[in-house]
Amino acid sequence: MAKDAEKSTWKDFIWNSRTREFCGRTGSSWGLILLFYLVFYIFLAGMFCLTMYVMLQTLDDYKPTWQDRLGTPGMMIRPRGKAMEISYNTTNTETWDMYIKTLDNFLSPYNNSLQAEKNEECTPDQYFVQADSGDVKNNPKRSCQFNRTFLEKCSGLDDHTYGYQAGKPCIIIKLNRVIGMLPGKDGQAPFVTCGAKKEDSDKIGEVEYYPENGTFNLMYYPYYGKKAQVNYSQPLVAIKFLNITLNEDINIECRIISNNIPPGSVRDKFAGKVSFKLRINTKG
Amino acid sequence: MAYSQCFSVSLSHTNTHTHTYALSLSLSLSLSLSLSLPSLSVSLFLLSLSLSSFSLSLPSLSLFLLSLSLSLSLSLSLSLSLSLSLSLSLSVSVSLSFPPSLSTFQTEHKMSIEECCRKFNTDIVQGLTNAKAAEFLIRDGPNCLTPPPTTPEWIKFCRQLFGGFSILLWTGAILCFLAYAIQAATEDEPAGDNLYLGIVLSVVVVVTGCFSYFQEAKSSKIMESFKNMVPQQALVIREGEKMTINAEEVVAGDLVEVKGGDRIPADLRVVSAHGCKVDNSSLTGESEPQSRSPDCTHDNPLETRNVAFFSTNCVEGTARGIVVCTGDRTVMGRIATLTSGLESGKTPIAKEIEHFIHLITGVAVFLGITFFILAVCLGYTWLEAVIFLIGIIVANVPEGLLATVTVCLTLTAKRMAKKNCLVKNLEAVETLGSTSTICSDKTGTLTQNRMTVAHMWFDNQIHEADTTEDQSGASFDKTSASWAALARVAALCNRAVFKAGQDQLPILKRDTAGDASESALLKCIELSCGSVKQIREKNKKVAEIPFNSTNKYQLSVHETEDPNDNRYLLVMKGAPERILDRCTTIIIQGKEQPMDEEMKESFQNAYMELGGLGERVLGFCHLLMPEDQYPKGFAFDCDDVNFTTESLCFVGLMSMIDPPRAAVPDAVGKCRSAGIKVIMVTGDHPITAKAIAKGVGIISEGNETVEDIASRLNIPVSQVNPRDAKACVIHGTDLKELSQDQMDDILRNHTEIVFARTSPQQKLIIVEGCQRLGAIVAVTGDGVNDSPALKKADIGVAMGISGSDVSKQAADMILLDDNFASIVTGVEEGRLIFDNLKKSIAYTLTSNIPEITPFLLFIIVNIPLPLGTITILCIDLGTDMVPAISLAYEAAESDIMKRQPRNPTRDKLVNERLISIAYGQIGMIQALGGFFSYFVILAENGFLPSILVGIRLNWDDRACNDLEDSYGQQWTYEQRKIVEFTCHTAFFVSIVVVQWADVIVCKTRRNSVFQQGMKNKILIFGLFEETALAAFLSYTPGIHLHKQIDIDIHLHKQTYIYTNR
Repeated sequence: MAKDAEKSTWKDFIWNSRTREFCGRTGSSWGLILLFYLVFYIFLAGMFCLTMYVMLQTLDDYKPTWQDRLGTPGMMIRPRGKAMEISYNTTNTETWDMYIKTLDNFLSPYNNSLQAEKNEECTPDQYFVQADSGDVKNNPKRSCQFNRTFLEKCSGLDDHTYGYQAGKPCIIIKLNRVIGMLPGKDGQAPFVTCGAKKEDSDKIGEVEYYPENGTFNLMYYPYYGKKAQVNYSQPLVAIKFLNITLNEDINIECRIISNNIPPGSVRDKFAGKVSFKLRINTKG
Repeated sequence: MAYSQCFSVSLSHTNTHTHTYALSLSLSLSLSLSLSLPSLSVSLFLLSLSLSSFSLSLPSLSLFLLSLSLSLSLSLSLSLSLSLSLSLSLSVSVSLSFPPSLSTFQTEHKMSIEECCRKFNTDIVQGLTNAKAAEFLIRDGPNCLTPPPTTPEWIKFCRQLFGGFSILLWTGAILCFLAYAIQAATEDEPAGDNLYLGIVLSVVVVVTGCFSYFQEAKSSKIMESFKNMVPQQALVIREGEKMTINAEEVVAGDLVEVKGGDRIPADLRVVSAHGCKVDNSSLTGESEPQSRSPDCTHDNPLETRNVAFFSTNCVEGTARGIVVCTGDRTVMGRIATLTSGLESGKTPIAKEIEHFIHLITGVAVFLGITFFILAVCLGYTWLEAVIFLIGIIVANVPEGLLATVTVCLTLTAKRMAKKNCLVKNLEAVETLGSTSTICSDKTGTLTQNRMTVAHMWFDNQIHEADTTEDQSGASFDKTSASWAALARVAALCNRAVFKAGQDQLPILKRDTAGDASESALLKCIELSCGSVKQIREKNKKVAEIPFNSTNKYQLSVHETEDPNDNRYLLVMKGAPERILDRCTTIIIQGKEQPMDEEMKESFQNAYMELGGLGERVLGFCHLLMPEDQYPKGFAFDCDDVNFTTESLCFVGLMSMIDPPRAAVPDAVGKCRSAGIKVIMVTGDHPITAKAIAKGVGIISEGNETVEDIASRLNIPVSQVNPRDAKACVIHGTDLKELSQDQMDDILRNHTEIVFARTSPQQKLIIVEGCQRLGAIVAVTGDGVNDSPALKKADIGVAMGISGSDVSKQAADMILLDDNFASIVTGVEEGRLIFDNLKKSIAYTLTSNIPEITPFLLFIIVNIPLPLGTITILCIDLGTDMVPAISLAYEAAESDIMKRQPRNPTRDKLVNERLISIAYGQIGMIQALGGFFSYFVILAENGFLPSILVGIRLNWDDRACNDLEDSYGQQWTYEQRKIVEFTCHTAFFVSIVVVQWADVIVCKTRRNSVFQQGMKNKILIFGLFEETALAAFLSYTPGIHLHKQIDIDIHLHKQTYIYTNR
């Protein structure tokens, strides 16, 4: 008995044919509620859009308001590997083929022909400053050429396998772009230096840097942002391990040496440095 | 540390930047606010402040959950609710199938004494033999009430831990642990969020459980102190010897002797009595002591004179009786058993919370399933989608609400305790506020339980005496010589005396030895004429005939005050008609006049009038005995009366009643204007009950009963339309014959009802009848006879001073000052807390939306997580707490005692409307506020809203350390995570800021905030506290700790790897 009553009240609640109520409300009541919420939400959405619009108006098109997070620029390697781990087998082409492809893709914009077409040759060892004169923007900004050939043995032009096949792999290092950053003072260009973690120090062997000394030439700075400096070519440094110990994990850390880049936070393993693991197998 | 420094700087910068659009935002928001809730315009500029960004590096650990099944949680809650409803229906059936009748179980009172002796193998002179007594003791067990099965402490504790709201939190916690366990099993570095959330949820439940457990333990400790620990003694005759033994060792068949002041040790069949009177008020509700004699006067054992009941008091005289029942078999014992057999239903607030849980679960499941479907459509794996579903459901649990509700109730309980309402069960705090019917006992609750002289008749005129407790009432003309004579008679013909050592106490508070009516006279005379002791010393008593039921008078002979006057003064009091028969003259204005017919008629009228008021009337007369017949030294023989007791001089009448307490009429009036029906349920006689009901306003002026209408129109009762009478007085014997429908009819159609001569079962039936009609019933009472009803009621209110232990055990609330008016306070507080809880819940629920939406958008549009789990906990258990609790201190918006009690089926604590406003309107505004600050932080750091959509996968990839922003800059993982934490902080602070506005929104339900004012100091404190806490959480470097550990573990792992290879 009680259960029946319960059931019918439930049914009644969902659709009460007597009062023509759905879930305790008539159609017009539901309609009004929906209408209210529709109007209310349209209004809220409009207002939100308005506030967002106003907020965006306050932003500068060429430079973000805050850059204090980027005081120490990050560093990154190519190929990135899987979770900063590059390991392959020299005898097995498939294990390093993807690295070659990554590097080919990454370096294709640096082809000399392309660079010559888009960018210009600048005076080396000095900042390529293109200041705006007051409100008049000096846009678009020009960019300096960074030719693929600067990477010499690591350019992939002579050795299409970037030394991977020979167990003398090239790793390309880049410094994260930060608008307006001047990475060295007194004409001292920043340069990359790589080393192994303590216990691996005798395993790393000889390392060669391209361009010479692993420097990022000052002419590529400052960066003016992707809107003002569309064709900017990020400078690169390639390192080539000439006689690295094979068949072993080697932890390598590369850091930027500069006289005005502050040391990064202890927590950030990629601020001003980059660590990765290299393992080259030779056996089956 | 470096972060916070940087961001303190950035904060000031951000402010200058954002001020311009802050204004426009606030304007537009204020528009929307005034659209949704007209009273909110105060909050207009507060939202804009949410833009400021503080630095708080809270971890953003992803909220991905893995879980075995959602169905587990669903089936869990389903089975829970099923079992709950099962237990409820069980308890109902138990209470219905328990109809033992008290009125038919005893037949001993109808037996002759010899039969009785035979039945119990006892002897009327010698009593039981010691051996028999020992045998019976083993057979029947000790003569004491089995204490109600006490709930073990750990069960009470568990009830606090797993009752009502806690279930919701436990379910959430279990889901969290489950998700974490599976994450730990499947991922290398599981995010700790679920673990923390689960732990926090459990801690919250346990801490609040402990809190309310100790709160209730405190109340029960006060309860313990009521218990009378003094062991009772009884005087029994065994083998012809009188011996004093512990009352527990009394067995059926024992011959027991009791005297004035003793407690009756068991149910006794009286075999002989000398002026014995017992006070049955705790059993039957009769204020007047009842005389006991060996004769059976009534079929009903409760009414007959030859039975004295266990645990009632012998007021005066002596009696001897055979024990017929002991322990739980006594009348008192049966009532106590009946009481402990009853299950009281759920409190209204528990039902409300259950309804609330249903609603919240409904919303959570709806949201969860909607986004489950969306997630599946967006291409997540179904497992991931299930994880989201559980995450959303858990996110809907308002973590802080349990604590808030408990604290609010506790605060009110404390406030009520200060006003002398001790609440035994925290949830009962609100029940009184929902009460729509109060069934009140008369004796001791509405009345003072103390006979007091109410009226006098002398000089052919009725004079009103002062019956108030503090003697603030009107007085009468005391100059008349007749009054002096009346006072003298009342003082002399009176055996009551004050007990020693009470000179400091006010007269009315002093204890007396003697009959209740004589004590009333004693106090009355002491108050108006000074020391009775002195009057008695001046008029030495020479002879005395005590009251007995055949004479119906009491007489004494005294010397006169004047030493030269050698006449004796005879004073007599008794039943007025008997006294009048013995009188030939009457004193008018101090002059003796012959008693004529006219005077007799006026006496009759006065007698009828006072009797009609439910008062007990005594007549007084005196005679100065002629010296020639009764010279000094005359030997008065009281057994064989050798002096005249006729042709006396009538002095006057005095009538006594147990007067209503002073505060009661006002309190009844307040209850009535608050829409609460007050029903009197008493064991006393209908006339007395009706008189008191009229006196306190339970039957209001001008309202008539059927009988009143009949006598006014001079027609038989049967011809009166019962619908004409709003009031009715129903006798217990009539009640027996009523069907359930008739009972409902009476309860529905009469607004003013008095039940008289009701038994404990009938009280129970009345309460059940009211509950059947949907009323929430409060029962007040002090006697044992009230306790079943107290237990059955939604809230039982017992009297702290006069109440019996059994009644206090059965009650949910105790009035420490025995003042009915405290109930009004209770109702007021209860209604206020209901309103304020609603506000608190609305406030707390609102912030759920800005807490859930970030996660929803994180899933659906793949933006970086705007608000982390830990930050959510900071809001729910940190900043929101004090403002939510402060709403409990909010003053009433209107006169809450002028509106009808809430309708439990319609006026819910949390209804769809509240959810709609909290979630659909204010919550949405808050979410927009939070998202705005989130977008501001990201945009000003270089990530414009346009690139955020879909960025999540790269954003949360630890290996991606050159993520490009809208300006072409590249970010490492840590760098952008710091920005993300800044967003969390900004979102958090935005919520804090919009909650400022929300607390002002929720502060009022009907009034505008300008009408209500900002007088709630706790709320203002709460606003500052909330802000200070938010600032503390945002700026204290130590708060980064959590993240630091996380990284350290990570680094540690790395070095571990290095050293091992």
